[in-house]
Amino acid sequence: MKKKADVVVIGGGVNGCAIAYNLAKKGLDVALIEKKYLSSGATGCCGAGIRQQWSTKENVELAIKSVKIFEKLSDELKEDIEFRQGGYLIIIHNDKEMEQAKENVRMQKSLGLTVDILQPDQIIDIVSILDIKGMKAIGATFCPKDGHANPFKTTFAYAKAAKSFGASVYTHTKVTGIQTEKKSITEVNTDKGKIKTSIVVNSAGVWSKQIAEMVGITLPNKPYRKEIMATERLKPIFDAMVISFKDGIYFSQQKEGQIVGGIPIPEEISGYHTAPTVSFLEHMSKTLTSYAPCLKHVNLLRHWTGFYDVTPDARPILGEVEKLNGFIQCNGFSGHGFMLCPMVARILTDYIADNKSTQILEKLNLERFKGKNFDKEVYIVG
Amino acid sequence: MFGFEGDTIASALHAGEVKTFSTSLVYNNPRGFFCGIGKCSSCLMRVNDIPNVRTCIAPLKENIHVEIQNRLPDLPKASFEQIPIESLSFDVLTIGAGPAGLCAAIEAAQKGAQVLIVDENQKVGGQLIKQTHKFFGSKQEKAGTRGVDIAKELENELNILKSQGKINVMLDSTVIGYYESKKNHLFGVVKRNDYKSQFLEINCKAAIIAVGAMENMILFPNNDLPGVYGAGAVQTLMNVYGVKPGKNVLMIGAGNVGLIVAYQLLQSGINVDRVVEAAPRIGGYHVHAAKLRRCGVPIYTSHSIKEVVGKEKVEGAVIIKLDKNWQPISSSETIVDCDTVCLAVGLTPSTRILSQINAEMEIIPEAGGYVALHDESMQTSVKNIFVCGDSSGIEEASTAMIEGKIAGISSALSIGVTKDKENLLKYIDELKLLRAGPFGDKPRAAKKIINKLVKI
Repeated sequence: MKKKADVVVIGGGVNGCAIAYNLAKKGLDVALIEKKYLSSGATGCCGAGIRQQWSTKENVELAIKSVKIFEKLSDELKEDIEFRQGGYLIIIHNDKEMEQAKENVRMQKSLGLTVDILQPDQIIDIVSILDIKGMKAIGATFCPKDGHANPFKTTFAYAKAAKSFGASVYTHTKVTGIQTEKKSITEVNTDKGKIKTSIVVNSAGVWSKQIAEMVGITLPNKPYRKEIMATERLKPIFDAMVISFKDGIYFSQQKEGQIVGGIPIPEEISGYHTAPTVSFLEHMSKTLTSYAPCLKHVNLLRHWTGFYDVTPDARPILGEVEKLNGFIQCNGFSGHGFMLCPMVARILTDYIADNKSTQILEKLNLERFKGKNFDKEVYIVG
Repeated sequence: MFGFEGDTIASALHAGEVKTFSTSLVYNNPRGFFCGIGKCSSCLMRVNDIPNVRTCIAPLKENIHVEIQNRLPDLPKASFEQIPIESLSFDVLTIGAGPAGLCAAIEAAQKGAQVLIVDENQKVGGQLIKQTHKFFGSKQEKAGTRGVDIAKELENELNILKSQGKINVMLDSTVIGYYESKKNHLFGVVKRNDYKSQFLEINCKAAIIAVGAMENMILFPNNDLPGVYGAGAVQTLMNVYGVKPGKNVLMIGAGNVGLIVAYQLLQSGINVDRVVEAAPRIGGYHVHAAKLRRCGVPIYTSHSIKEVVGKEKVEGAVIIKLDKNWQPISSSETIVDCDTVCLAVGLTPSTRILSQINAEMEIIPEAGGYVALHDESMQTSVKNIFVCGDSSGIEEASTAMIEGKIAGISSALSIGVTKDKENLLKYIDELKLLRAGPFGDKPRAAKKIINKLVKI
């Protein structure tokens, strides 16, 4: 293990790997520490969706810029990350949701997004198997440039490219402590050795809270178990991701033919439990087949759980904290870390390497939770 | 087409010379079945408009509509009945009704536990029902008796307990998952009926995992062509369904399975061109090898298969000589004329449900791969989850049966329906005795590690 590094990144999910890549590309000496294997946390469990339709400006901006990067990422990283744009169809069920959708679509359009409100009959043109009555739909919003990518391939591609620029990636290595002096970081201790550094990126997903505690900083993040399933493979039926904020469901068909989707269970409470539940099976199958009755005989093949690292406003915590110089947060994505990672990694790299801050970083800083009023992201599923 | 009662769809198709069941997802290559026991999913077809039916274990019925599945299937079109999820409770759930599972369920029930036994097949007995040869080993463990007759004996015992209401049997059903539960253990079971599935919830105080093993596949070009089978699949076709798998067979592997199946092929009037074995010596019992040699079947040690030739099905194979480092020697190829390649290259324990339960697992090569660590009572690192038979490490039916008995008694003791430990110690001793011979080296070494590592 190397003795010192300019930056130590903690967590080998897609965000940690993307940051390591961007920093290394800028010529910084980077060490990435992952306690298990790359993508072993939330990244490897996620639904693979990439969405730009959000209710808060910062998320829309981050997402639009991320999609611009995703569009060229396979070329940039020289690995096929299976990015494709089948769109996101957000089902609207009532007048209140419609009002909100209109407002959000206006805001999204002002930021340059191609997005429209659809009538019920137009929904069927996008995804033919949907049942308007079954979904109780009165309309939908649709952005054709939303889409999917393969989270595993994206993570591995970022890590491989990071290594090609000289980054060191240590998997199966656990951070055991972070040494500080006055208001600065001096060293990261692991079970395999010590690395001297002055900058630490905390991108450890739901375990970011424990990393922050090592230096006496309390993050407001809470872990939530999220369940997700994949069906048997079928001929291609639809391209879009279908989601509903009222029902909490999301589902799409993957490149290989399986339908992947999730839904929250009503009795869920915060915690680190990982066992799948029968309640999810019941909820998911009932809701999914009310949306698409033709899926009734389709078998579920796999069912697994992952975590959402949820903050009080359901938006990520990004940037340096006030109490400790060089301690950079990149966590609290509340279920949307994969889709935002390309731009988040660039913003944080600009901050670390060139000391350049942006409005987004200032808005999404940890210190925002000191006040009682913060903008809450309400476009959350799963 | 027609078949016999008790046939599976796949066995009936084979009897009618239909060997291509689907085409592969990426290259659109023809695919037939490989394992023949519901584990490999190479036999998926569309039955009565339901896609992805495992035809090797799906029962043949009158007037069914069976279609070849090209690459990805179309949506199912069958009618659907909305049935609420049924929830059942038992003391002990035994998964798998092979030699280990049957013995476990019988012992647990005899000790007073309410038992449910679940199996994917149409009948109980597991792989015993295709073993027409007489068993080796100790007299107590049925040496001299044929596997198929042992299955009948166990089935009779099971039926008595069933009639007394002590055991419930659920066939044509699959345990698909282990779920969060506030108390006890919770499993999900899918019960099939007319190729459709129904989900049930099973609560139990203890569970015995006796789900067997999967046939190993080896890598060579065209290993997915119809006509390349696992040895178990060939045995199933011949001995259970009376269907000849082909006319001219190349056998890969000279362990006991390869030798016995090769001899049974000869008995069925099928030509065995030769047996090839990558190791420098024959792995199985001398008596089996000698029988083959007396019939004029050569056994080539330090040889392996290089590739299969053929377009739509196996039309021949190329074998190659290996040096002492198991590397192919160039220009040592021989072309073998055959329509069937039978792989008897070992088994891998089926352990997915154990990983899902979060039982502590280890890779132990002598046991065949990933296995759940367990103690002498066959309990894993998860309380009241027991394992036995091949899924606890590859061995043979006689040891599987004793392991099953131990797991059955232990589960009854652990949940408190009995306090009688007497037989438990007797069986543990018997197991040690069975492993004492020279062929017990590997399992003995494996079990030593498996037992040593467990923390309960």
